[in-house]
Amino acid sequence: MELMIENVSHHYGETHVLEDISFTLKDGEIICIIGPSGCGKSTLLRFIGGLEQPTSGQVLIAGEAPSGSLNPLTYIFQDFALLPWRTVEGNVSLVLEDHGIHGSRANAIINDVLARTKLADFRKALPRQLSGGMKQRVAIARALAVNPAVMLMDEPLSALDSQTRELLLDDLVELWSREKFSACYVTHNLAEAVRLGHKIVVLSRRPGRVRQIVEIDMPLGERFERMGELEETQRHLWNLMREEARAADMELADVA
Amino acid sequence: MTSTIIHSLAAITLASGVALTAPANAQEDTVQIGLLSLTSHAPSIIAEAKGYFEEEGITAEFVSFQAAQPMAVAIASGDVDFGVTAITGGLISLAERGAVKVIGGALQETPEIEGQKILVSRQAHEDGVTTPADLAGRRFGITTAGSSFHYMAHKIADAEGFDRSELSLVTLNSVPAVIASLRSGQIDAWSIVPNIAGGLTRGEDVVEIGVIADYVEDYQVTTVFTSTDIVENNPELAERFLAGFSKGVADYNAALVDKTMSEEETAEIVAMIHEYVYTDRPLEDADPAIRAGAMRINENARLNLGSVEDQMEWFKSEDLVPAEATVENLVDTSFVETF
Amino acid sequence: MSLDTTHAPVTSAAVPRPVAPSGARPVPFRGGGFRHKPLGFVGPLVFVALIALWELGSRTGFISPIALPAPSEAFAAFMDLVQTGMLWTHLEASLYRLVVGWTFGSLLGVSVGLAIGLFSFVRAGFLPLVSALFPIPKIALLPLFIVWFGIGEGSKVATILFGTFFPTVIATYGGVDNVDRNLIRMGQSFGLSWLSIVRKIIIPGALPAILSGFRISASIAIVLLVAAEMIGAEFGIGAYILMAGALFATDQLICGVAMLSILGLTISFFIGKAEKYFLNWRT
Repeated sequence: MELMIENVSHHYGETHVLEDISFTLKDGEIICIIGPSGCGKSTLLRFIGGLEQPTSGQVLIAGEAPSGSLNPLTYIFQDFALLPWRTVEGNVSLVLEDHGIHGSRANAIINDVLARTKLADFRKALPRQLSGGMKQRVAIARALAVNPAVMLMDEPLSALDSQTRELLLDDLVELWSREKFSACYVTHNLAEAVRLGHKIVVLSRRPGRVRQIVEIDMPLGERFERMGELEETQRHLWNLMREEARAADMELADVA
Repeated sequence: MTSTIIHSLAAITLASGVALTAPANAQEDTVQIGLLSLTSHAPSIIAEAKGYFEEEGITAEFVSFQAAQPMAVAIASGDVDFGVTAITGGLISLAERGAVKVIGGALQETPEIEGQKILVSRQAHEDGVTTPADLAGRRFGITTAGSSFHYMAHKIADAEGFDRSELSLVTLNSVPAVIASLRSGQIDAWSIVPNIAGGLTRGEDVVEIGVIADYVEDYQVTTVFTSTDIVENNPELAERFLAGFSKGVADYNAALVDKTMSEEETAEIVAMIHEYVYTDRPLEDADPAIRAGAMRINENARLNLGSVEDQMEWFKSEDLVPAEATVENLVDTSFVETF
Repeated sequence: MSLDTTHAPVTSAAVPRPVAPSGARPVPFRGGGFRHKPLGFVGPLVFVALIALWELGSRTGFISPIALPAPSEAFAAFMDLVQTGMLWTHLEASLYRLVVGWTFGSLLGVSVGLAIGLFSFVRAGFLPLVSALFPIPKIALLPLFIVWFGIGEGSKVATILFGTFFPTVIATYGGVDNVDRNLIRMGQSFGLSWLSIVRKIIIPGALPAILSGFRISASIAIVLLVAAEMIGAEFGIGAYILMAGALFATDQLICGVAMLSILGLTISFFIGKAEKYFLNWRT
């Protein structure tokens, strides 16, 4: 299954948020979207997930979702979006219930996704008992439960401390190595982008335009070992973003 | 009624601090008089307006109340000095605690003057309640336990020879609530002074089936009362108040009950009363309402002790007042003529 | 401080301990306070002490019996109620009115509150109406209630029902408004049906606000009990208090008021239990 983003533009009233964004997400590919704050990254992701509609342009799906995918386009949120009144397993089963999956079938799926995210021991825990990293792993488990074709990740590691972030980054790479899911990964963290992205879409400050699409050939599994070689790419990205980020910063200060 | 209770409690709380105030020396005394917005409170209004209190060296100030009970409590606490109200369980209870005393009589049923009426709803009337004897098994509205309505209901039962418990008494806590219930047929019967009764029977919903005078002989409906403190420490003030009050009574009876006064003077009296009663209506509308069904107020505030005794007996028989309550504790007979 | 410790081992014991110059004094302590310690026994102690003081005041005549009856007299009035069995008659009558009025008031309130929270059309139409009707004292409408609902249980239950309805509506729609929008977006992103989102996300999310609304509406129900029992009530704690007021039987008055207070405490205790049970997921 492929996603095609075609000439997407958007404005709220007079404010132009996004202008003429186009790129294609191929099967089994991770695209990272980076850009300064306020450039409309998250908005773009909501268009891709069908939670909002752009003023013009469209997001197209080509090909069929893999069989057994309950929710082809699946979100992972920065703030985890776990229901605080449900246990870990309850939060996973929430997304199965509406598809009529109950009882032993649900149980099997829950067991599987919790094992894959190393949460099997915390089945009965409530979100308030979990650390931030574990909460995000629950959110990932929940996303895996619906067998997504595309994961839409909105700064999934931003709310975590740096050590936890590293650990989860490893987990995601490992997961991808096994599942080969495709994903749109919004972040403002360049290191995350070069660790995870097959392609990196760099957006300019508001109104967000595509400044450049950087491709990285190195297999995901090798990137941790070969961070040195990626240094160059990361510096390039930073050069692209620096001016934008500074301007964006001033802009915000102006508004305030 | 909630507000009444709060009011009462507030009054009492204040009271404990302000016990001994009334100065005995000055000839010019300021006196607080409790007033309900009823025609039967007219003598004080007339006495003030015509300067009868002033002649007695009294400057009268009126304090308005919505019900008799808070007025009684305010007198017990010393916030108000004199008042006129029906003998109720609350009044006797306060008298037993040594807080208030009845010192004279006011409104009384007399054979020659139209008195309180027994009313039934249209529905009950069509259902066969055409005389007070038919009231057995019917719902009779009262304001509160131990009110004059409660007493009248039982006097009817006693005289008609059915058990008191056969009257189903409905406590409604306020006169407007009783009226609403009677007109909508939620209760079957009620008894009330003629000027209110007249207003009700003029409509479609309420029918008169008898008069209270047939059941209670010379019913002493309301009495003049004051605090025990004044009776004991300043009886001379009470005497002067009663003297002024009595002149007001004489004018009231002459104008509205015996109608011996000239029309011009009567209109003047009505205008005075209108300052405090039916103030929400223009004088032209209030005039007939004030004149209609005025009941006699005893000359010189004479008190029908026999009626008071009968009421006391009834209160005791219903356990509404402590068994040890006596008329002696309730009434100080040294101020007016009793009979 | 840190400098001292790092240097100490290097320069060894030869260095004398610093001698405080004369006039040196400890840094004045300015912290502490402003923090609540759990002192569970103080509440009941204050309560008992107040009652004891009150009793003493009444016995010695410092508190006039007209102003306030002694607690022992109020207790005697209570024992009278127990012995005559009237306690249960009064309690039963009042509890029936409270339970029926409060239950229906709350059910209706939660339903209307949810509707206002969920549908813009209902909000636009009903919210001004709720704001307009909420402040009306229900006691003022009693004469009309008699005509509408009769002098039987109808008007009593209706008084409590109306009194509890409005605060519940306001608490509920406020709760719905405060449900984390991101959770709703999450539900939508997983393709949950509208009903599922309402049932599994919005209602549980609004539950804390609804329960604290219940706390308030239950107190209001008790406050309104006296008003409700002004109309043709033969039995009931409110009717008992009103009769005590009319007869100036202050011992019974205090006894009745104390019963209402205990009733309030009991209800508050049960709502606390319900909060613990339903909201154990909160930190």
